[in-house]
Amino acid sequence: MAPKKGHRFSSSEDPEELARVPLQAILLADSFATKFRPITLERPKVLLPLVNAPMIDYTLAWLESVGVEEAFVFCCAHSQQVKDYLNKSQWMKQPGTFTVQPIESHDSIGAGDALRVIYNLGVIRGDFVLVSGDTVSNMSLKEALQEHKERRKKDPLAVMTMVIKHSKPSSLTHQTRLGNDEILMAIDPDTKELLYYEDKTDQSQRFITLDKMLLASTPTLHLHNDKQLYRFPILMRKRLIPVVLFLEILKDCYIDICSPEVLSLFTDNFDYQHLRRHFVKGLLVDDLMGYKIFTHEIHSSYAARIDNFRSYDTISKDIIQRWTYPMVPDVQYFGNCSQMKLDRLGIYKAPEVDQSRTAQIRAFSLIGNGTTIGDHSVISYSVIGQSCSIGRNVSIQGSYIWDNVIIEDDCKLSHALVCDGVHMRYTHTHMLSVKFSFIIFCSKAYMMQKAISASVVNDFFLVDLIAWVPELLMVEVGQKIVIPAYSKVSLLPQPSKQDSDEELEYADANSGVVESPYRKPPRKRVFCILLIKVGISGVGYIWSTTEGGHEEEWRQSIAPIPAEKLMEFSLSAHTDLGVSNQDVNSLPASGELQLGSEGTGFDDGEDYKDSADFEKELEATFQRALAGVNPDNVILEINSLRLSYNMAHADCAGSLFYSIMKSALSAPFSSNRELLLNTGKELSRWKDLLKNYLKTIDEEIEVLLKFEEMCLETTKEFAPLFSAILNHLYEKDILSEDAILSWAEEKEGADESDKIFVKQSEPFLKLSTYKENNLKTLCAG
Amino acid sequence: MWLRSASFVLDKRLQQQEPSSYDPRDPAQLPPPFPSVNPMDQNPNPNHGISAYYQTRAEHHAVVTSDWLAQAQAAVGRDAAPSSGWPFAAASSSSAARTGSVGVGGKPFSVIDEFNYWRKKPDLAEAVAAIMALAAVIRSSEATTMMELEIELKKASDTLKSWDTTSISLSAGCDLFMRYVTRTSALEYEDFDAAKLRLIERGEKFGEISLKARRTIAMLGQDFIFDGCTILVHGFSRVVLEVLKLAASNRKLFRVLCTEGRPDRTGLRFSNELAALGVPVKLLIDSAVAYTIDEVDMVFVGADGVVESGGIINMMGTYQIALVAHSMNKPVYVAAESYKFARLYPLDQKDLAAALRPIDFGVPIPLGVEVETSARDYTPPQYLTLLFTDLGVLTPSVVSDELIQLYL
Amino acid sequence: MPDVQALVNDFVLKLKRRKIEGSHASARHTAELLRSVISHQRMPYMNQAGALIDAVKAVGEQLIAANHVELAVGNIVRRVLHIIREEDLSSTATGIEGLGISAGSDDDDEGQREDRPALSAAALAAAARSTLRAPSLQTLLEDIPDSAAAPQPPSSGGDSEGKSKSADKNLRSRKLKHDVIEAINELIQDIDTCHEQISEQAVEHIHQNEVILTLGRSRTVKEFLCAAKEKNRSFRVFVAEGAPRYQGHVLAKELVGKGIQTTVITDSAVFAMISRVNMVIVGSHAIMANGGVIAPVGINMVALAAQRHAVPFVVVAGSHKLCPLYPHNPEVLLNDLKNPSDLMDFGEFSDCMDFGSHGGSPLLHVVNPAFDYVPPKLVSLFITDTGGHNPSYMYRLIADYYSADDLVVKRSYLLSVLLMTGTLGIRINLKKLRTAEENFANSIGCWCNKPVEAPSSKTLAFIVQI
Repeated sequence: MAPKKGHRFSSSEDPEELARVPLQAILLADSFATKFRPITLERPKVLLPLVNAPMIDYTLAWLESVGVEEAFVFCCAHSQQVKDYLNKSQWMKQPGTFTVQPIESHDSIGAGDALRVIYNLGVIRGDFVLVSGDTVSNMSLKEALQEHKERRKKDPLAVMTMVIKHSKPSSLTHQTRLGNDEILMAIDPDTKELLYYEDKTDQSQRFITLDKMLLASTPTLHLHNDKQLYRFPILMRKRLIPVVLFLEILKDCYIDICSPEVLSLFTDNFDYQHLRRHFVKGLLVDDLMGYKIFTHEIHSSYAARIDNFRSYDTISKDIIQRWTYPMVPDVQYFGNCSQMKLDRLGIYKAPEVDQSRTAQIRAFSLIGNGTTIGDHSVISYSVIGQSCSIGRNVSIQGSYIWDNVIIEDDCKLSHALVCDGVHMRYTHTHMLSVKFSFIIFCSKAYMMQKAISASVVNDFFLVDLIAWVPELLMVEVGQKIVIPAYSKVSLLPQPSKQDSDEELEYADANSGVVESPYRKPPRKRVFCILLIKVGISGVGYIWSTTEGGHEEEWRQSIAPIPAEKLMEFSLSAHTDLGVSNQDVNSLPASGELQLGSEGTGFDDGEDYKDSADFEKELEATFQRALAGVNPDNVILEINSLRLSYNMAHADCAGSLFYSIMKSALSAPFSSNRELLLNTGKELSRWKDLLKNYLKTIDEEIEVLLKFEEMCLETTKEFAPLFSAILNHLYEKDILSEDAILSWAEEKEGADESDKIFVKQSEPFLKLSTYKENNLKTLCAG
Repeated sequence: MWLRSASFVLDKRLQQQEPSSYDPRDPAQLPPPFPSVNPMDQNPNPNHGISAYYQTRAEHHAVVTSDWLAQAQAAVGRDAAPSSGWPFAAASSSSAARTGSVGVGGKPFSVIDEFNYWRKKPDLAEAVAAIMALAAVIRSSEATTMMELEIELKKASDTLKSWDTTSISLSAGCDLFMRYVTRTSALEYEDFDAAKLRLIERGEKFGEISLKARRTIAMLGQDFIFDGCTILVHGFSRVVLEVLKLAASNRKLFRVLCTEGRPDRTGLRFSNELAALGVPVKLLIDSAVAYTIDEVDMVFVGADGVVESGGIINMMGTYQIALVAHSMNKPVYVAAESYKFARLYPLDQKDLAAALRPIDFGVPIPLGVEVETSARDYTPPQYLTLLFTDLGVLTPSVVSDELIQLYL
Repeated sequence: MPDVQALVNDFVLKLKRRKIEGSHASARHTAELLRSVISHQRMPYMNQAGALIDAVKAVGEQLIAANHVELAVGNIVRRVLHIIREEDLSSTATGIEGLGISAGSDDDDEGQREDRPALSAAALAAAARSTLRAPSLQTLLEDIPDSAAAPQPPSSGGDSEGKSKSADKNLRSRKLKHDVIEAINELIQDIDTCHEQISEQAVEHIHQNEVILTLGRSRTVKEFLCAAKEKNRSFRVFVAEGAPRYQGHVLAKELVGKGIQTTVITDSAVFAMISRVNMVIVGSHAIMANGGVIAPVGINMVALAAQRHAVPFVVVAGSHKLCPLYPHNPEVLLNDLKNPSDLMDFGEFSDCMDFGSHGGSPLLHVVNPAFDYVPPKLVSLFITDTGGHNPSYMYRLIADYYSADDLVVKRSYLLSVLLMTGTLGIRINLKKLRTAEENFANSIGCWCNKPVEAPSSKTLAFIVQI
């Protein structure tokens, strides 16, 4: 019935018709990423159990609750599994207006492709909600939708509304609760328009390179961990507007309300793949089409996306603490999950839990149906799935244990993620092949630590494995092996390093998971890896940590951040505070930049500055200045630049002078004479600008040194004219004579090669010294 | 005389004390119940210091917990001979009751003997025994009309009541059955034999009705036991035991505090039962109740009888426990079968026939010192939270309703 | 009747997702749903009441399971069951007059083992009537517990009709259904009009120049006060705002709209103000069988304050809030922990809930319970649509609203056995299950006078299925 309705309305030209088209939603049931490897090698991420139901249920339930009538579930990787699940889930057959409709595609490697596919199907008729299948939320979309529609009426270019949420990162670690990348957003406080969006995706790249338009907003880059909120005018799209930069206070909920244009946009530019990285930034960057993205901020209600193990952990705990009410275990929001009983201290227990009298279940734990817990076992802050059996003296802390897991006596798990059908044992006795499971022998309790993510072997995959390497039927960790922190143990060999991210995405996207990447390592190597890595009786792989190395891992693992890390943080925090304070004090009184008093510049470990970069930037600014921007703005920009690069006035002056000279040089000249004239002109023209930075003698000396350096290296043209220009500078009293003198004095000690220019300017120096002496005598007389 | 009480023997078994107090019977290694039981069975009116009611209880519990006795003695290091003697004692005593009945009561059938016979059965409550006995009366009566039968029954029940004036459930049982008889007779005037058969059959069935009642109560009661709770139990009540058993079998995680229950050590028996179930249990001396009450979540007690006010009459000490619990706002739950509802309205403690009970202080009491031997007290309804009965979970105020419905 | 099933599922989902909340709404919906269930239930040849009851129980089970906290649902289900039994009983009684002895004979070939040659119709009726009451001392000795006939007087009645081929059978069958639906309509009527009926009594309780204190917002309370106002009583109302939902503010608005002198206070000011208050009137979520009250959070505090200053504490509630269950462990079982973000904004405190630091254990917990349990001894008076009652009198009301055998709304013994004994563990032993089932069956036998059938076959089937 829905389509018919749609057609009827779309036929009418009434602008109101948007309002009446049934609300649609696109649910991307494939995170086109590899964060959850190796689990996602056989199971789609959206079907991984979150607290006690598959993630996708949370998302669907939310969509249903916000009044979405048609949801299109786009499944790509393991699409069959997703479809099967949906077919037997309640969503298909439930009464009411909410219809779920899977869309399958095999060759999509990113959200972009997905949206293109959907566009080609032409099922989307009006505004639609775009979420990924791992979103947990209980917000109500009503006002967001309303705003969106209003805006659409006013200005058809507002194609998208992003839902954002306040979320303070922990004061110490300066990272988000969800452990995902810092996001840098510039939002117009009045119109709520999103002006600038940057998620620092790759840690390797130290600097976010910005298009010239947003140049001035770069200052925030080094402040990106600050909880403050800066208001200052930035030059944008050739117009000066006040912009609020929210840094990290805002969390992107990855819930978007889009207009149909979005789809067409995706189809227009085929390079769009990643929603944020490409699409959003793309829209923001090009001002030809002038599409706008707006934001809607939610406060009390909950919305978050499971992006990595950390967020999996965090969100699970939020759910157990009922922030996602009514999507909490004991409300059995999704019909399929078993009735939970909420006990004191937030302990959720299924009706049939066989708990020994001596076993303790501590606060904020969830025990699934049919699970048995042996004597003296202690469980705290953990989620235990269905029909697990936990032996005696087991201690499980902050871990996530999925269904049908067997944990034998005396195992100790802390902050582990244990997938379906895993069998963990303490004693080293031989264990015949347990189907659909991997076995971990650990002879020392503390061996099981941190994120161990195992994988259940599905039928089809099992077959394939046998055909491939029969020994790999199960992963065993030999009893001599200590599983290092943050390591992942799996049946599946890790895709070899050289696969780029893109390739991985390909692989993940393929429904036949058993394709390319793990065929890459030759079998021989496979086996020895497994001997070395996993130990004598062990079969399987320990996945080495991802390219980010531990930098990434501690951010994104389930385990809490290790103490020493925290120590580092607190230390660095202090030092940086010191630094930034003094640099705040060194602000020019005339600085147009109104920093909050707490403007504590803080940069995590990026203390080295390459001034070359700075110079380039500054020169660029200067070029624009030449292009005839009014000098105030130039000053402004330079200031902000200086701040962003943490440069002293001296450097600033130096490089400014440099660019001035270059501009002088750029002008055509036949003889040194002309050049001198040009320089004179340029200097007189930019005198004031330069003056801004020549507050003290040091800067002037800096300028001199710079000049000298230029003459030596970059612009030899000035070499002959050195003294002349020096003189000129003196005349234009850009440089005071004491500066020059002290420069000369400095040079005294230097070797000959350096002295050339000093020599060159002997006469001038003499003159000045002579003058000085006169003055002295006069004073004396 | 009180020296020969069954429970006294229990005490003996427990704390080996100087045999001085019962030298005369020491050489004869007879298990003591013989002298204590036999005479009591022969004379129909038990006007000796011991309330027959309590004697039966003592024997029952002795039988129930012979294994515990064994343990105790093993601990003490005594020979286990007497413990083996116990079941034998009970059996012999019952048989003695049979023979004695034939011997003494000249007439071929006597209610008392019948009653005593049933009474000896470990898991039969007094009321049940009484009703069994009355049913037997009906069977053996050669009355031809309902009226005669009723008269006969009346006589029988009166003798029963007079035989042990202190037992409440006995009288309650008799009343209940009499009531039933009259009502049935009112219903089924047309055919006497049918009615008679029916009465007998119902009477016989009553035993299992009582068992069923216990199960019902267990069902109702165990809902009130939640994971991690601590229960204080006073006295040995089969019903309470049933409740806890069921709860334990339902994997409820709870722990129990047992009062010692002087003088007949009910707490020891009870704790033994619970320990067998694997329930964590802790023994208190009776005077430690107030001390431990703050860690208690609820108080469970049985009842000898439930009176019209909704209060209960139960083993000595219940009242003070209820008082303590009430002052600490802890719920007091009573588990009692509905046939224990009695038409009494005690106004204070002294307002009911005192069931006397010998108390062994371990050492001989000096002359001129009086001993309070009353064995039970009356707990007024305002100190009780709920009653679990086979009629459902009742507030004390409902009890009087039930009784009124029955007898008016 | 697929459409009814759809309705049921829909309602169940609504309950599960807390789309229908509040005792009034849920009670009404339940009643209507059950009405449609009954009207679609096709009546079997005999034992119609039994069929109806089973159908209703089947649905009721799902509904109750859907939302345990919403006690009104369960209440209505039980009310409807009670209605069916009553209606059927009346019709049976009328039926039995005609066929006196034949009914007895029917009972016989119905297979009652013990010999009761001529049990008169009167006896049968008496037995039947007794099944509607809670099992009592009188019925203790009668053979209700273990016979098959008396427990199901409806059945025996129905059968007797079936065998004595009375022509008006189907007419009567329709009559039964019709009566039941009529009765349910009345029930719905009551649910809707309970406010009026309650507020009619307002004048007797609220006197001139009194000061009334209430907490939060209850529609019943509002009506009650307004009714008193309309009878131009002049009185003042203190409204405690009722954090965290602050319904008190709404109530204050409404009262002022009605021209009632109103003062809004914080919940924490209740103790300060109580000494100036003449009476506390609050609404409730449910009234338990022992006279305890489940009420919006904060009311227990008010009750304590009232008791401290000997201020009468009055609870107004429609009779659909009267719940035949006892609050075991109320603070956990019968409570609903709502969303913490009612209390505080998640964003503001999210840094306190960073599980990355502090060794992975959250330091900040926010708990937001929905209900309080007020023990009966703190309540001075209940005002329901049937008048004012003492807490200790509640059991009586319950006795005539509900029939004892519906307290456990379960169809299959097996299921309930498993629920009761929880033996659905990994290892399940046949014997235990058997005994457990017998236990349960018997006790339920005592309760719902159901015949105790041999569990073996079902048990075995069950084992296989396990």
